[in-house]
Amino acid sequence: MIRFRDFTYAYPTGEAPVLHGVDLEVRPGRFHGLVGASGSGKSTLAMAAAGFIPHAQGGESTGEVTVGDLVVADTPLPDLVTRVGLVQQDPFDQISGARFTVREEIAFGCENLGVERGEMVRRVDEVMERLRIAPLADRSPYELSGGQQQVVAVASMLVMRPEVLVLDEPTSQLDPAGSRMVVEALAAVRATGMTVLLVEHGLELLAEHADELHVIADGRIVAEGPPADILTDPRLDAWGIGRTRFTAAAAEARRDGLWPRSRPLPATLDGAAAGFRAAANGELE
Amino acid sequence: MSTTLQFYRAGDSWVHRLNPVTKLAFVAAVTIAAFGVERLWWPAALFLLLEVPGAVIAGVAGRFVRMVLGFFAPFLVILFLLQGLTYPEPGTVLLHLGPLEVKTEGLVFAGTTALRLLVMVAAFVLLLLTTHPGTLMSAMQQAGLPPKIAYVVSATLQIIPSFQARANAIMQAQQARGLEVRAGGAAARVRRLLPLMGPLLLGALTDVENRSIAMESRAFGRPVRPTAYTVVPDSAAQRAARWAMLALAVLVIVLNTLGVFS
Repeated sequence: MIRFRDFTYAYPTGEAPVLHGVDLEVRPGRFHGLVGASGSGKSTLAMAAAGFIPHAQGGESTGEVTVGDLVVADTPLPDLVTRVGLVQQDPFDQISGARFTVREEIAFGCENLGVERGEMVRRVDEVMERLRIAPLADRSPYELSGGQQQVVAVASMLVMRPEVLVLDEPTSQLDPAGSRMVVEALAAVRATGMTVLLVEHGLELLAEHADELHVIADGRIVAEGPPADILTDPRLDAWGIGRTRFTAAAAEARRDGLWPRSRPLPATLDGAAAGFRAAANGELE
Repeated sequence: MSTTLQFYRAGDSWVHRLNPVTKLAFVAAVTIAAFGVERLWWPAALFLLLEVPGAVIAGVAGRFVRMVLGFFAPFLVILFLLQGLTYPEPGTVLLHLGPLEVKTEGLVFAGTTALRLLVMVAAFVLLLLTTHPGTLMSAMQQAGLPPKIAYVVSATLQIIPSFQARANAIMQAQQARGLEVRAGGAAARVRRLLPLMGPLLLGALTDVENRSIAMESRAFGRPVRPTAYTVVPDSAAQRAARWAMLALAVLVIVLNTLGVFS
């Protein structure tokens, strides 16, 4: 679906590349997570996946990014946005300002694509229902909480029916309640089988949803694999990523002999609960 | 809440249901008509016979009067002071105020001008009170307003309160660090407020970049004919009424030129 081949990129304002020889494949129908420390190049990669690099940002690049059969650098941005939807960090900045109610805001992308009205109404209703924001339909987008605005931003992309959805740290500017709303929306997106690339620093969110994780450090992809493997990798600290609370608690317990020796460290709440339950039942080998 | 939503009063009156373009045509027609006749009673008649009943039918009469007076009263005072006291043409002096003279002609001129402006302001107020801004923009786009111009208008209307909120947040952050914004004279206050503009403008510029990415993600500006989610009802009768109102306004000017109102 989206493929990076030996992609290196430097912003026009900086001499040093931010991404170095990135090879990464986002496969159809899979939920990919990209994790990395601050400044590791996560957001730059997200922008490149959505085509805003190089089209909007400029800069120098080598290698190639493709979306399906399209080479991003050779494809006009208006054609790319029909294939890749992008959700950014700041929910407020994604409100278009062009429409006065949530339902109109969500429909805005379809209007610009020239989608016929009946079809547009069906799509808007369906996506609001799926993301559970139908009660907000007639409110002004500017009156919503940050979490609600971010879910509207996700809905505004889904309604355009892109083939892949790229989300750049969608919970980074939200309070816990707002983050929960977005997480629930992502679960609903995942249930549709849509292709997703979620750039995120919240490991627990990735552990919950991702089929596959990619770790980026200093602009290079340094590890890839299933979340259970990646999020318990001993090199996490070296990559500046840290661990989930569940992995950290289980590691502490293992040091004290309170975690089953044969059981790998968990990345999720369910895994941690199962391990501690086993330990409580005396299964420590 | 957006600036314009502070004005709008929801309702289901006949005036509310009119297509906003018809109401805009009314604004244009009464304004042209008011300025087309040089008689004191003419704009007063337009206001009392067309605009006030419109506000009553729409069920917004109280707010209509408050808003019109709110917009208009300060301007009215200035207009009467300037025109009443400084009318340059010779005329009948009613009163001497030191070196200044209050002339009948000055007061009539001020009154006519004030009433003409009153007609224009009142028509706009009636439009704002009975038309949701979103419906107004949708109707204008349906009538052929280019999407980019519609966007600039809508975004400006909605973004102002957010910009004010950010300015307040920056000011409060600086006050928390000991900046005294209210002490001293006006010049000192302005000097102290100037550094606050930096973060406000830089933040706004960042917003613009992010918002432009968000807009491009939503295919804004794509070379296809946009469709409309919100379709504002219109009718042949309303389209005819719009042309009729404008034709009547022009007719009024013609009749005035022919001396019918003399």
